Amino acid sequence: MHGVRDRNESAWLIPGDGTRTNHRLRRDMRRFADDDEIDLVIVGCGAGGSVLAQRLARAGWRVAALDAGPFWDPDTDWVSDEAGSHHLYWTDPRVIGGTDPVPLGSNNSGRGVGGSMVHYAGYVPRFHPSDFATLSRDGVGADWPISYPDLRPYYEQIEQELPVAGERWPWGDPHGYPHRPHPVGGNGEIFLRGAASLGIEARVGPVAITNGRFGNRPHCIYRGFCLQGCKVNAKASPLITHIPDALAHGAEIRANAMVTRIEVDERTGRATGVRYITDGAERFQRAAMVAVAGYSIETPRLLLNSASRRFPGGLCNDFDQVGRYLMVQGAPQTAGRFDAEVRMYKAPPPEVSSEEFYETDPGRDYRRGFAIQNVSPLPITWAEHVAAQGHWGRSLREYMSDYVHWACLGALCEFLPQPENRVTLADETDQYGLPVASFSYSQCANDRKLMRAARSVMEDILRAAGADEVITIERYAHLVGGARMAADQQHGVVNGNCRSFAVPNLYITDGSVLPTQGSANPALTIMAIAARAADRLIRDARGGAPDGPGPGD
Amino acid sequence: MSARPGRGAAASWSPGQQTRFPGFDPAAQASHWDGVTAETVLRRLTPPPPKFFTADQAATAEALLDQLLAQESDQKIPLIEMIDARLATGETDGWHYSDMPEDGQAWRGSLAALDADAFSRCGTSFAEAPGIDQMALIQAVQDRGPGDWHGLPAGYVWSLWTRYACTAYYSHPTAWNEIGFPGPAYPRGYKNAGVGKREPFEVADADPGDDPLRGEA
Repeated sequence: MHGVRDRNESAWLIPGDGTRTNHRLRRDMRRFADDDEIDLVIVGCGAGGSVLAQRLARAGWRVAALDAGPFWDPDTDWVSDEAGSHHLYWTDPRVIGGTDPVPLGSNNSGRGVGGSMVHYAGYVPRFHPSDFATLSRDGVGADWPISYPDLRPYYEQIEQELPVAGERWPWGDPHGYPHRPHPVGGNGEIFLRGAASLGIEARVGPVAITNGRFGNRPHCIYRGFCLQGCKVNAKASPLITHIPDALAHGAEIRANAMVTRIEVDERTGRATGVRYITDGAERFQRAAMVAVAGYSIETPRLLLNSASRRFPGGLCNDFDQVGRYLMVQGAPQTAGRFDAEVRMYKAPPPEVSSEEFYETDPGRDYRRGFAIQNVSPLPITWAEHVAAQGHWGRSLREYMSDYVHWACLGALCEFLPQPENRVTLADETDQYGLPVASFSYSQCANDRKLMRAARSVMEDILRAAGADEVITIERYAHLVGGARMAADQQHGVVNGNCRSFAVPNLYITDGSVLPTQGSANPALTIMAIAARAADRLIRDARGGAPDGPGPGD
Repeated sequence: MSARPGRGAAASWSPGQQTRFPGFDPAAQASHWDGVTAETVLRRLTPPPPKFFTADQAATAEALLDQLLAQESDQKIPLIEMIDARLATGETDGWHYSDMPEDGQAWRGSLAALDADAFSRCGTSFAEAPGIDQMALIQAVQDRGPGDWHGLPAGYVWSLWTRYACTAYYSHPTAWNEIGFPGPAYPRGYKNAGVGKREPFEVADADPGDDPLRGEA
């Protein structure tokens, strides 16, 4: 672990006294003036923005990262309660449509420092090598301008920094994890039992939850509220894995600052900084370089809201690529009923996974595949499962009283990128008077086949484990794409190093750059892409070389 | 999933008879919860009176919510107050369907539509209609599925009602008594995870074979 601390000291900068936040580090944080042209301003402090900030601050760049939401303190801002965690989500209005509208908010958005990793489950699988070339290999999706070996060293770095616990991973590019797998609860036990009896390979992990002490971060207490923000500091999010180190190296984190527009100099064609609203006042932060990391809805929305005379259809949108190829994973959840008590709310929801069905199987009538993982809905979410079966009134109450007997699996199906699945601007405006995002989504035939296949495998596993009844709810998980990387500007918004084709000192370093999504939860890949982009910037800063005073000046 | 008609009225189970987890009362464990969580949860026991809905809308909403969660007269969970508080502060889920208005307006509109249906069927408001008619009126909305209901997609109205109703009901500690869920778990955590295992403060299901689905297939 010595090597990790040398390059990212975050876990050692957290207090070791049972409290969760280093208040002194925040109080003493460096603060830049708006008219000081800093080296880099980052929009969004989630998976991508936080890693970028930490890496560049360490390299001596003068960096400020703005986030629309708060700078969380797990002790005072988060609760061990489902309904009380509503404020972790992006709940400003958005409009959803298409033939298969995708609900936003709680499941797939974040707000505040740490982003949606504050409330993600904690699964951090790598993408498989095949994910980077699905068009040439499988005839669907897209080929990335980078390949798996480009990301491998960054996967390894981030897995150590989170750190990740899990068994040796046999799928994709086989690899191990720095922490041993966690013990499983009732839900994981059922998955392992059912999979074993069918001969399906399933493994414990990969989970970004400390198994043992890591720096000053304690061991997980198996409380089951991972999706409500980890009050323990055991589950990784950038708030505790990258932000403390960024602060210690002179980065500024400017919370409660909603970026409304990126300004571009019409004469030079270069970005000059960002407009933002904080405490009800509009301000402008000057910067030599801008990186957008607002995730797949807000990043395209910000680009579209930054239209100008030079970019009448939206910034970086000369080729009508902004907002397109937005993806969600089909995420049906199947639950099984057991006479024994499973009590799936105990232990973290992420426990066991199988990537056995990840790649294209030539014997099936669909391309690409799906992964299966434990999910452990708490009562409000479980009520959605029961209500989706048509129950209300007494029958709803009766089915709900059976909660402790159910185990639940979730699939992540690789829905394909399609140009018409996209973000545009709605007529409706938000509290700042800005047009809100309208997100249209429609499934294709391959998507529907994947959902059916995943459902049938999950039903088989639960029945093999002894379930007497199974029920399924169709839903979606994760967002990626919307400003994808590509070989050229006719097919994407940024290049393989996350630099926009249209504006030489504008970068996008979040999930919106992904051209395909695999069947993997995206957080680790987003962090790895941001870490790689940071390395490129540090090595070759020609797009916006830091030429102002260095740290300490 | 397609709706299965008649599910509100058909069940034989009777609310108020807490037989599955005898004596289980998570709120009695509040001294084991961290202070911030305890305050958040216990505040739900005494919500402020409605201010988003008018008195008439609140009466309709209360009757609807009591039917959706089979609440009877005594010891009701204050659903209308909890939902009103969300709508009054604009605490929505952060999205609405392109063919639905935003949540507050969708609530007001759908309650007015429910009253209109009640007047056509019984000549009274929804709240004043007999329980059996209230159930039939609710069932009729569910049965419309994706079809139109007073200018709104019925399935989206159904989703709006049940989402808000279930979120309010199952956030209340009294509801956890009847499902065996111990509620907040910080800083205590769990020590005995696994099939058939329990913490000292959890109560075994007294009727583990009472599978509500059994015999339906």
